[in-house]
Amino acid sequence: MTLTLLEGAVLVFVVGCALGAALLKDTLAAVMAFAAYSLGVSVLWLILQAPDVGLTEAAVGAGIMTVLFLLALSNTSSPDVDRLLEPVRWRTVALVGGFALLIGVTVPALPAIGDPGSAVAGGEVTQYYLENAYAETEVRNAVTAVLAAYRGFDTLGEGVVVFAAVVVALSVLRREVVA
Amino acid sequence: MTLELLTTHYNYYAVVVLLGIGLYTIIESPNLVKKVIGMNVFQTGIFLFFITLAFRADAAPPVISDGAGPYVSPLPHVLILTAIVVGVSLTAVALALVVRVYAEYGTLDEETLEGLYHD
Repeated sequence: MTLTLLEGAVLVFVVGCALGAALLKDTLAAVMAFAAYSLGVSVLWLILQAPDVGLTEAAVGAGIMTVLFLLALSNTSSPDVDRLLEPVRWRTVALVGGFALLIGVTVPALPAIGDPGSAVAGGEVTQYYLENAYAETEVRNAVTAVLAAYRGFDTLGEGVVVFAAVVVALSVLRREVVA
Repeated sequence: MTLELLTTHYNYYAVVVLLGIGLYTIIESPNLVKKVIGMNVFQTGIFLFFITLAFRADAAPPVISDGAGPYVSPLPHVLILTAIVVGVSLTAVALALVVRVYAEYGTLDEETLEGLYHD
């Protein structure tokens, strides 16, 4: 697939918001940039034909996550904002650039985007789910079928993780911390 | 040749850029809340990698209907759905720790905290 104008624009928006979240000094502004980033990413999931992931990202990433950040900000104080952006430290940029270069050199080894013969999109496992999911589970949405039936134990584990997170968060905060 | 790679692998390069931005925020930002934001950006970069791998040109979302198709792969979507929820749990715990650190020490600045720790 070639890059469409829409996807290019969304990618630029997403990377721009990520840069904003990274460099804005005011934490509230950074959280807002991150919320816009999550929304842009959920549009990206729609373009990549993943509506389930897009819905979850919009509800959870842009919604619940922003509320969590705002709750954290309202219980702490923001640093004094004497400038719009944080100073860029080039030593760290060089370090991160080296890391990115290391990953970047592996990119040409990956199949082209949208290649129907790639190991994931055209693979045996994918074909099995697509051919048998409806017959075996009577759910038309293959994502739901895999999530709730074939990989049901994964989803149970996910529930355990959420439960553990709630227990940890409540025991860390205690009652008197949250006003 | 490089330009051709960019037109066929653009999402993967976006993944590399997002991982870089996330890592930079985690390392460099002095504010603990922003470090958590950096962690989330890093995470989303990995999500983009998975969803791009699942994508197939001219394919429909994986909702099975008679005669339609081809479909994109449902399996990476499931993994990322799980990962998003786990990511929110992680963020909630991290922010709870941040709020607790603020309640104990009155600051979220990394260097001030380090100074307090050594005292």
